Amino acid sequence: MAQFRLQGSRVLAVDLTGDSVKAKNGAMVAYEGEMTFKKRTGGGEGLRGMVTRRLTGEQMAVMEVKGHGTCYFADRASEINLVSLRGEKLYVESSNLLCTDSALRTGTSFTGLRGSAQGNGLFTTTVEGTGQAALVSAGTAVVLRVTPQTPLQVDPGAYIAHTGGLKQHFQAGVNFRALIGESGGESFQIRFEGDGLVYVQPSERNTIGGEV
Amino acid sequence: MPFNVLTSRMVEAQVMPGQTLFSQRGAMLAYRGDVRFTPSITGGQGGVRGMIGRRVANEATPLMTVEGQGTVMFGHGGHHVHVIDLVGDTLYVESDRLLAFDGSLRQGTMFLGSQGGVMGMVRGQVTGQGLFTTTLEGQGSAAVMAHGGVLELPIGPGRPVHVDPQAYVAHRGDVRNKLSTAIGWREMVGRGSGEAFQLELSGTGMVYVQASEEKL
Repeated sequence: MAQFRLQGSRVLAVDLTGDSVKAKNGAMVAYEGEMTFKKRTGGGEGLRGMVTRRLTGEQMAVMEVKGHGTCYFADRASEINLVSLRGEKLYVESSNLLCTDSALRTGTSFTGLRGSAQGNGLFTTTVEGTGQAALVSAGTAVVLRVTPQTPLQVDPGAYIAHTGGLKQHFQAGVNFRALIGESGGESFQIRFEGDGLVYVQPSERNTIGGEV
Repeated sequence: MPFNVLTSRMVEAQVMPGQTLFSQRGAMLAYRGDVRFTPSITGGQGGVRGMIGRRVANEATPLMTVEGQGTVMFGHGGHHVHVIDLVGDTLYVESDRLLAFDGSLRQGTMFLGSQGGVMGMVRGQVTGQGLFTTTLEGQGSAAVMAHGGVLELPIGPGRPVHVDPQAYVAHRGDVRNKLSTAIGWREMVGRGSGEAFQLELSGTGMVYVQASEEKL
């Protein structure tokens, strides 16, 4: 199975021994050994998955990287987070997905209103199975636990991904009227309830000087 | 005159009497002590010939000479800074990526088109980096800029490294580079993987790669 390592916080190193990974198109920055890069229509599920992605707009340009050696991936100097999946399902915005083990199945899932507020469409990408995945974020992401006793509200622009049995719904931030004018209509939150983990990035608009 | 890394985007250098430092013009952030900054028209050394060479090669990022006694802090555009210590070997780097370097290093310009024939010529067009590159040689340190952190990959005999031309920052040592293509029929029908061109570096040395495919 492909080995995922972090080389610093912004470069992902993947050790391959004849196996393959799926990665965001064009994300390779360097490699040692023998590698081949093949474009895929967008992450599995055959023809049906392809049609779904076309319809939903949750289309990701994915390439299959196969070979012997080490391949290095990076995406616009974004921070990289490793996620190990053991049978569970990860929900992630396709723009935040850098690389997945080819043993993982990818698909699309309906997100309801949340997606349209994010400008990411009504659908999100799902990653399921056993293996490693790498997510990119603007600034180092934090992993927040949600339990039935402690629900979590997240800014749609700061949300990256989640795992576990979580119900999400969209709520308007009625208590933040003062912000409405300034935030360009983004005074909404996603409320997560249930049991699981949510990955949150330090949203760029809240960080002085970008990605310090 | 080694550089002292203050943050990932800022370095500090000690300036001593009788020693010279070159830096990209306007890259000084702060200084202590008695330090003078003078525009360096020749852009380093090499006299008039070197100057003309750089002009022709379009490798003439405006430099300034830093002299005196004190400490100077350098940084530029919020880019990440990486310090490379040379021990008699040669560093190949685009001049616009050079933040500051030791005045004792010999500066030159190299025609990359001579490496790898036609593909060497194409390299400049693909990478947008031109056909010429700046060389620094000798004993001393250089601070180079990158978008995102810098990854150091050693190159050894039988162990070439392939780099995305957009992510390439610099390389050192006895290294040959050539542009390789991975274009097959799939690319022709619009199913490219986005990795059509790669820079293949072989020999003995080190290549520096940035964590981004964006130019400075």
